[in-house]
Amino acid sequence: MSLVGLVECKNRNVDSIKGAVSEAFRLIDYKLLKAEKIVIKPNMCYYWDWSTGQTTDPLFVAALIDLFREEISPDVKISIVESDASAMKCKYAFKYLGYEKLARDCDVDLVNLSTVEAEKVAVKVADEVFEFMVPKIIRDADLRVNVPKMKYMSFTKISAALKNIYGCNPYPRKFEYHSKLDKVIVALNKVMPFNLHVLDGLTVCGSKTLRLGLVMASRDPVAIDAAVAKIMGVNPKSVVHLRLAEKEGLGKTSFIAKGVDIDYFRRRFPRRSFSEKVIALGYRVACKLGLDKRLV
Amino acid sequence: MEKINLGVIGLGFIGKVHLRNCLNLKSVRVVAVADSSKKVLNYAKAFGVKRLFTDYHELLKLKDLDAVIISLPTYLHAESAIIAMEEGKHVFLEKPLARNVEEGREIVSAAGKNGVIFMVGYPLRFVPEFVDLKSQVESGALGDIQMAYGVDIAAGPFFHRAESTTPRPVPEWWLNIELTGGGALMDLGYHMINLLRWYIGEVSAVKARLGYRFNFDFEDYATCITDFECGASAVVNVGWFSQSAAVGIELHGTMAHARAYHSPSSKVITAVKLILGRTPRFFIPYLKEVSHFVDYLRDDDGENRLSGEDALKDLEVIAKAYKNQIK
Repeated sequence: MSLVGLVECKNRNVDSIKGAVSEAFRLIDYKLLKAEKIVIKPNMCYYWDWSTGQTTDPLFVAALIDLFREEISPDVKISIVESDASAMKCKYAFKYLGYEKLARDCDVDLVNLSTVEAEKVAVKVADEVFEFMVPKIIRDADLRVNVPKMKYMSFTKISAALKNIYGCNPYPRKFEYHSKLDKVIVALNKVMPFNLHVLDGLTVCGSKTLRLGLVMASRDPVAIDAAVAKIMGVNPKSVVHLRLAEKEGLGKTSFIAKGVDIDYFRRRFPRRSFSEKVIALGYRVACKLGLDKRLV
Repeated sequence: MEKINLGVIGLGFIGKVHLRNCLNLKSVRVVAVADSSKKVLNYAKAFGVKRLFTDYHELLKLKDLDAVIISLPTYLHAESAIIAMEEGKHVFLEKPLARNVEEGREIVSAAGKNGVIFMVGYPLRFVPEFVDLKSQVESGALGDIQMAYGVDIAAGPFFHRAESTTPRPVPEWWLNIELTGGGALMDLGYHMINLLRWYIGEVSAVKARLGYRFNFDFEDYATCITDFECGASAVVNVGWFSQSAAVGIELHGTMAHARAYHSPSSKVITAVKLILGRTPRFFIPYLKEVSHFVDYLRDDDGENRLSGEDALKDLEVIAKAYKNQIK
């Protein structure tokens, strides 16, 4: 079983976050090894900043950068990556979400994966073959760090580590994949495996936005997502892309939680009420039936 | 009385609201719709509109068209409204009047020159709570208003869909100050200044402090300190803050105080009503403002309550607020 480290971080500042992340690494027996090129993939969603709980806090990423420079080397080359999407353009997201400032302050690169060199890679998931462009910067990195959020999502129930890698697909018209979302999420994780998953649960968005103060780490994206599902009140086995990811060998849904008791965060997480679940289901059904076209 | 033949130009979010409202007005016949996107025009086609144009100039050449509702991006307001007026069409223009005072003056002047009726959309003027507040002011129950407070907090470009986790992306022009003329102060302050002028009278001086929480090139929140010719003063707070909406006015008079807050509609109920083809509560102020326009065209309503001149005064106040910034 994979290890998942859970740490509480009550203060939103670089030192506190760095301390919490170090502790999470210790809990999962993770040692930062020599690396020259590191890629960090935060979660960006539209132009909602960190205070909505929907996107990774740039301060969280700043703490990671500090830690990598202290533990690995001050000269390590760090790139923050994201790609254009149907409802988001990197040129705006980097600026509005505070990443341009972060890049200036921490001397790191911001990379729009939709505009960089990439090569076509075929991958099979559940007897279906997909082709994706894999950016060279991700392929060539010594350390690939995934920094997801934990959110509900109409089409996949939850969005966390595995779903965040969906944003590494350089193709901008991502809505075209919605009919095969579960398979595509797994396929992208197979062609772009990330070494480390550090979840920013400082501010979370469930039925409402809340300061949860959670930092989680794992080397296994399936395990960390299973832990996320548990905290959010979702049965991990009911999440199709989690089941599929496990079947495809990306990780295990069974995990050993270390650190703060998972129930402590489960009790505090603003879980969806029954009516909110019905609304999410209704929205999904409306989209499938094309009724959303009648909205304004 | 004859029906008014109406065209709708621009089928963005508010354009769709206007279209659906017009289709429900007995005194209106929607004869044509224009939008630069063919895909978006399918929305109008699904509601039975036959004449569809990707170029609004073509729509404006229609001889049987009496009036148009223009809900294009702000940077196209002056151009489209003036062309429509020169074609002899009456114009209902979405707010804000224009990107700047100069463009606003050109539009108002074109309306006068071409002898057409011109109104600017101010849905809050038709919200029952704010209409009731106006009645209280006019009844003299508040005495002389000395102080006022206006607040308009809305999602702006951060709008979520009904299930609350999916963004509704704004078009790219929203993110370009050259095309919008301003940020939250222009978007929301415009409503507040209009309401306060309606209740209190003309503004004599205004200052603003602008906030830039989201790293835009334009303000995402603002506080205005406003003085009125009658001696009253007001504080106006506006901002785009995620999901929560707060729209209200408080008036403090020499004899009494009154407040009016407009509670937002449930997005879920709105979505369900739209799918079922019903009119959601959110649409009603928009329906009433367009009804007023149409009734005025048909001589059924004696006073132009949404005049271009009035909108120009609002724009002048906003322009002064941008100029007199508190650093």
